[in-house]
Amino acid sequence: MLSRKDRQRFERLTMPHLQAAYNLALFLVKNTAEAEDIVQTAYLKAFEAFKQFTGNSAAAWIMTIIRNTAYTQLTKNKRQSNLVNFDEAVHHHDLQSKPGIPLTPEESWNQHTSKSQINDCMNRLKAEYREALFLRDIEGYSYKEIADITQVPKGTVMSRLSRARENLQAMLIEQYSKAKKNEL
Amino acid sequence: MNCDEVQQLLEAYLDGELTLSDRRDMDLHVSECKNCLRQFENLQKLQTQIRNVQYQPLPSALKGSIENSLRDITGEPARRSEVLRWISIGGGSMITGVLATWFVMAVLLISPASSQVEDSVINMHINSLLADHITDVRSTDRHTVKPWFNGRVGFAPPVKTFESQGYQLIGGRLDYLEGQTVSALVYKRRAHVINLFILKNYNLSDTRSIVSLQRHGYNLVSWHKEGLAFWLISDLNKKELIQFAALTQK
Repeated sequence: MLSRKDRQRFERLTMPHLQAAYNLALFLVKNTAEAEDIVQTAYLKAFEAFKQFTGNSAAAWIMTIIRNTAYTQLTKNKRQSNLVNFDEAVHHHDLQSKPGIPLTPEESWNQHTSKSQINDCMNRLKAEYREALFLRDIEGYSYKEIADITQVPKGTVMSRLSRARENLQAMLIEQYSKAKKNEL
Repeated sequence: MNCDEVQQLLEAYLDGELTLSDRRDMDLHVSECKNCLRQFENLQKLQTQIRNVQYQPLPSALKGSIENSLRDITGEPARRSEVLRWISIGGGSMITGVLATWFVMAVLLISPASSQVEDSVINMHINSLLADHITDVRSTDRHTVKPWFNGRVGFAPPVKTFESQGYQLIGGRLDYLEGQTVSALVYKRRAHVINLFILKNYNLSDTRSIVSLQRHGYNLVSWHKEGLAFWLISDLNKKELIQFAALTQK
């Protein structure tokens, strides 16, 4: 039976991460009402399992539950098949190798990219790439923490991050090149 | 290290995941190789762009709805604001709107040094040490720590460094006090951890005078400035903590 003290401790540990939790859910399901439901469900699930929580990082723990709840929802909605809007196979050949490699003259894309363009492109990535970028670049988790949250080996986290950045950069360059063509 | 080896480690280098010796080798290579430096800078730019992605605000009812659902589980009554709770204890329907307004003012103007808040501050400090989770963002650079709070708390906490005075910034963390998410800046002086909690409170006027107290072996200093309430806590001696408070208020 959970007590008032448990509830207070739970709130103190998990509520500071509510906004990050909501944003992770939103990044995954791309729908505000669903993200809200996921967060509500995940927080209650987490509280019910609170007695078993022994970890050091409540933030990573709550993120794990949010992530799992979001994936359950995605599966339920049978949306998984629609997750990859960006054709990696085709675009991969356009890339010389790593995302950092300058692709002149398109390398100047980053000076002309707005926040909403980045957002749109991120939303076109696969769910596991979106979550890797969110957890690493926006939330600042380490590879090890991301591996724990997403329940995959550290090597998988590294390759997902690398592919995510590669794909994102390719999309931004493509977008930039199209805009340049339209200008001509 | 040659360029091929550097390519393999470039992202781990960007993400701060390399060992000290690998990092030194990378530093050296990147400082001498224009091509690798350019690739690294491109990666950095991409990461900056990603970091600038809009952090979405919480839907207004979500937090309250979760809090009430948690209370359902523990069998507690649904949460109401403290003010409304006081009003209902004080006689419910007899209290008019005018009196309610007076209550709001009275509650909002209470001293920052209320013992309930002090206890919460002490608990937050102890928990941050016990849980071995002192920082959410670990950095001595205020230009890393300050932007990290963007969108996570509803204000921009003033983040300052005092390295030359012997107080080292080690990072920042989110915490939870009085029903709101607060920013915690973490400093160290010798082996002593100092937590500086900052929360929004636009209704309190500035208090330049420092309230310092000793409770449970911890020294606490608090003040208000420009709509923010500050709580400083550490097991550091009172004199040095007051000196630190004076520095942060400058």
